[in-house]
Amino acid sequence: MKIIPIYIAAGISGFESPAAEYKELGLSIDQLLISHPDATFIGIAQGQSMEGIGIFDKDLLIVDRSVNAEHGDVIVANYNGCFTCKFIDKKHAQLLSASDQYKPVMISADDVFQVEGVVISSIRLHRPVKDLIACMH
Amino acid sequence: MYALVDAISFYASAEKVFDPSIRNKPVVVLTNNDGCICAVCPIARKLGVPKFKPYFQIKNFLAQHHVVIRSSNYELYADLSEKMMNVVARFCDEQYVYSIDESFLHFKHYQTIIKDWHQYGHKIRRAVWKETRLPVGVGFGTTPTLAKAANHAAKKLSGYNGVAVLNDETSIHAALSRMAVTDVWGIGTRLGCKLKVLGINTAWDLAQQSPQAMRKQFSVLVERTVNELNGVTCLSWDEVKQPKKEIFSTRSFGQRITSIHALSAALTSHSVIVGRKLRQQNSLVKRLHIFASSSPHDDNYYKKSLIYEFPVATDNNCQLAKAISIVLKSIYQPNVNFYRCGVGAIELVDGNYQQPDLFMPNKNNPHLMNCFDKINHRYGQGTMQLAGEGSSQQWQMKRYFLSPSFTSKWQDIPKIVC
Repeated sequence: MKIIPIYIAAGISGFESPAAEYKELGLSIDQLLISHPDATFIGIAQGQSMEGIGIFDKDLLIVDRSVNAEHGDVIVANYNGCFTCKFIDKKHAQLLSASDQYKPVMISADDVFQVEGVVISSIRLHRPVKDLIACMH
Repeated sequence: MYALVDAISFYASAEKVFDPSIRNKPVVVLTNNDGCICAVCPIARKLGVPKFKPYFQIKNFLAQHHVVIRSSNYELYADLSEKMMNVVARFCDEQYVYSIDESFLHFKHYQTIIKDWHQYGHKIRRAVWKETRLPVGVGFGTTPTLAKAANHAAKKLSGYNGVAVLNDETSIHAALSRMAVTDVWGIGTRLGCKLKVLGINTAWDLAQQSPQAMRKQFSVLVERTVNELNGVTCLSWDEVKQPKKEIFSTRSFGQRITSIHALSAALTSHSVIVGRKLRQQNSLVKRLHIFASSSPHDDNYYKKSLIYEFPVATDNNCQLAKAISIVLKSIYQPNVNFYRCGVGAIELVDGNYQQPDLFMPNKNNPHLMNCFDKINHRYGQGTMQLAGEGSSQQWQMKRYFLSPSFTSKWQDIPKIVC
């Protein structure tokens, strides 16, 4: 049972708004999209190779390092010193794009390759966001 | 069982987390104003880059070996530190964050569950690496001092590979006999010299001494250290976590300053930093040390320092700033090119047990300061300032090799090629 306390007071006063006790709540995008905050980072996508799965240039990528990358996952890898977003084909040791314009990339023994994390969601900004304009170039 | 977990050359490793292009390169990080080298990654260490050398002295050597140079990026380190600590905290009953990259762990209930501490240490290392891309060393010991020694062994001695467990006579002897006595927690260089005169060279030599004799000759602290090295826990968990007894904020200027206003602004900013640190550990300051100087390499070296005593101990930024304005006129001198200044809280009072004074009004304002701290925590340090800190940032740090704030500024988030 919720009790709304009303203090005795002289003069005219209204009821306290019953909404007051909900004031602290609100929807948090972080809470919805990030399940492992200590292992998650946010990056910005550059390029067209993943358009087939709906990741476009300048989309935000939420990358979770604690999730194990399974065959076919969209991942971010350190590929020869560069953060790269691709599908991982574990069976053939390849990085696959979601576009006909880009060929599969074979991972060879000479390459620097580490899985950095799994892309658990991507966010499209349909209007420019002020704080991000600087990194859009 | 206790453990000490810390990052391997934390600042340099942190620089590599969001910049994969330098992961396999030698990296060094410079201190404030790009003065000295304060962190050397393992690859750079192999090249023979020394720590704590002034940058200008070693500039050519670094260029020759293509060493990557970075200024200290505190925003990045603070964020990564918090994440690392949170991951480590999952593995123990109690955690105490000892510094930006070290934390003590205490195992009480876990003790019965964990069968193989070695394996457990590697599990911690793997988890921290996977989730934060930071390399850590893990040392287990039956006392906090042994845990600290184990951590040293894990990182610095060959054959340990990042994890060491000191929980029986054999393992303790193996590690301590290979450590210098000054590598023991709490044994500084001066005390180390005195011990060496007595023929106590290694940590194991120290462990063999009679605790009572050490107490007689030196102090109760050395007695305690000897006991701890023999597996007798003397430091209680609360003592490990003891708050700092002095808090300093000091820095050399990016550019020399000559005006009284600039000096005032710099000192006020330092006092605000001290205030924040006081409140973090729930301390109040009774005596404040305030100082400014030109460079010792200048002709007519000028140095002035004063101690201000507060009538009632405080943690209120406004009171600290007021102290600065009172002493400023005695510190400032025209025609001096000030090179460095700072503020230190040298006598602290526990905020929980302050003795009130009947005739002295308490000028603390916890509500205001709490609000101040919360705003700055949420929107970044410096969002809310005292007017006295000034807006011209002439005295601020020189950071020519600063990396982006990958995790704390939207315009700096990492770019991912698709």
